[in-house]
Amino acid sequence: MSNEPVGVLVIGAGASGAAFAWSIADTGASVLCLEQGPWMHQKDYPTNHMDWESRAMGPFASNPNVRGLAQDYPVNDAASPIQPLMFNAVGGSTILWAAHFPRFTPGDFRVKTDDGVADDWPIDYQTLEPFFAINDRMMGVSGLAGDPAYPFHQPPMPPIPLGATGNIVASGFEKLGWHWWPSDSAIASREYEGRSPCINLGPCTTACSQGAKASTDITYWPVAQRKGVQIRTGCRVKEITLRPDGMADGVLYYDQDGVLQEQKAEIVVLACNGIGTPRLLLNSKSDRYPDGLANSSGLVGKNLMFHPYSLIRGIFDEPLNGRRGPGGCTFWSHEFYKTDRSRGFVRGYSYEGTRGAGPAQTALWGMATGMVPWGEGHHDAHKRLNGHIAGMVGITEDLPDEANTVTLDPVLTDSNGIPAPKVTYTLSENSQKMLAHSVERGTEALMAAGAIETWSDPLIKTAGWHLMGTARMGADPARSVVNEWGRSHDVKNLFIIDGSIFVTAGGVNPTSTIQALALYVADRIKKNMGSLFD
Amino acid sequence: MTTTTNPLRDAAFMQVFLDLVIPPSADGVMPGAGSLELGESVAASVEADVRFGHVVSDGLLAIADAAIAANPGGFTALSPAARLEAVQGVLGAHPLLMNSVARYLYTAYYQDPRVLAAIGEPARAPFPEGFEIEPTDERLLAALHARRRQGPAAT
Repeated sequence: MSNEPVGVLVIGAGASGAAFAWSIADTGASVLCLEQGPWMHQKDYPTNHMDWESRAMGPFASNPNVRGLAQDYPVNDAASPIQPLMFNAVGGSTILWAAHFPRFTPGDFRVKTDDGVADDWPIDYQTLEPFFAINDRMMGVSGLAGDPAYPFHQPPMPPIPLGATGNIVASGFEKLGWHWWPSDSAIASREYEGRSPCINLGPCTTACSQGAKASTDITYWPVAQRKGVQIRTGCRVKEITLRPDGMADGVLYYDQDGVLQEQKAEIVVLACNGIGTPRLLLNSKSDRYPDGLANSSGLVGKNLMFHPYSLIRGIFDEPLNGRRGPGGCTFWSHEFYKTDRSRGFVRGYSYEGTRGAGPAQTALWGMATGMVPWGEGHHDAHKRLNGHIAGMVGITEDLPDEANTVTLDPVLTDSNGIPAPKVTYTLSENSQKMLAHSVERGTEALMAAGAIETWSDPLIKTAGWHLMGTARMGADPARSVVNEWGRSHDVKNLFIIDGSIFVTAGGVNPTSTIQALALYVADRIKKNMGSLFD
Repeated sequence: MTTTTNPLRDAAFMQVFLDLVIPPSADGVMPGAGSLELGESVAASVEADVRFGHVVSDGLLAIADAAIAANPGGFTALSPAARLEAVQGVLGAHPLLMNSVARYLYTAYYQDPRVLAAIGEPARAPFPEGFEIEPTDERLLAALHARRRQGPAAT
């Protein structure tokens, strides 16, 4: 294996790494990405098979501790009420995501100014707007322009149909006079740049056999490779190495045969998201940086933010066929997004309309909730639920708290012996109030929509999809890990471009904003090459 | 008296037991899980689950023992009511048994082509044919258009 020095070394081939690599390749520099997972193949995805529901709970489970594949690393989540989720492959977690694709709103970047909590971001929506637009084109976004909750933007494709589930739940919001709008979805609603349109396979979260859903292995990476970017798979980075002057000079990594390799680079870019990035920085200890790399602020691994999720479901008389169609892409609502202190909490949440589940998942959910018994009564109970469920999730804004952390587990390691991450997280009182509110109001919407019965879970334990805040950005080196364009305050040729640099979490899915940030950082590097390390 | 055979690998035991968990429907449309011969599939899943498989294997062993205590012919020799009694009798000591069984059985049952056909689902993988879904309700769309933010070209 050739480990010739490269100009730019990107660690992680997921949402942010792909966008960044595609953009930075414009410089003509040699760009290499190291990815611990493999390339995926659509023919292997669950919906090619009759037993797609079982496969979705095994090798395609979103929890790495359940999946336990060779490319995964374990996460000690015993001290967290929310399980962190991720996928390790070219494409990263976009392989398994729902592709619900909201942007952060302008207000999400100024929570201190507006509400006196947390911190403002050092950048604003307007700064990111051009990169949101580029990213929408590259990922291929379907949506309806004109949502009054956002500055105007025009998605490149028309929206995904609401289907019976979306129509019925949206009708409840409409009756109540509440805000709702068809989701921006990173799913092709028509032929788009070589991608076939969505054919409603259903479980987007088990990977898209059709290739209609945007995952970066089929969006950014093929274009980046045509620009000359290299990807090396099966490579797990152990630590970032340093020159005598304290600048990064590359990494040590285990190749797919478990052999330790050294890769030199002029610039090192971390794209491992909110758990992988602090893990790698904390594992990169040295005499010069005994508390981990880029950690003079002491904030690497601190301020972990999830989006605590509630789940509200309605059972309807009408057949809804909810297993068909993109499961997480119908509509969103920002009715309760902004602070209203009369509600008893600060900041707010969005709703994301959800469709139903397959018959096996419906049975398992019915079993877990006590609605589908074994023995006598089983069939009637299953028939009542199967194809008759629609609902939503509430996505609440988690506020940063230094006590919520990613640290290194003293015992647990991955298959290469690299210390694994340990997550310590407490759900705040503010989040608990917000979740309870989302359940009450979501139930109200479902009743208005005509649900004959509702069910709710005020905190979905298995919903730690969004991992943010553990290497936050800011102008003050004492209170942040990277500056306003992703450069480490301590190591000036080390950049971070993933969800870990978020200052606050917003109340919407983060991937659109993560990728816009990655493109913005790449753009800043391109425009400041002459003074990059000043 | 205790059983010397592994109930998980006893086809007759599993057929009767699985029919107890998912019996045939009264109208005959839905087959019983036992009649679909899913025992082998369930047993394989249980044995492959190093974390929770023992919950099922231990529980089934307790049922088999309880049945033998009631009738030397074992579980299959019991009347339907006595089988149910034998299962319910062990749940105090094995409270997670039936939910754990359901975890393996429900996936096997509801992915079986005969069951999918019976509940009106196409007995095929979702890909490549896919599915049709209903379009967005025109009345809802009209309401959205009435309150949409105008873009630069329209202002």
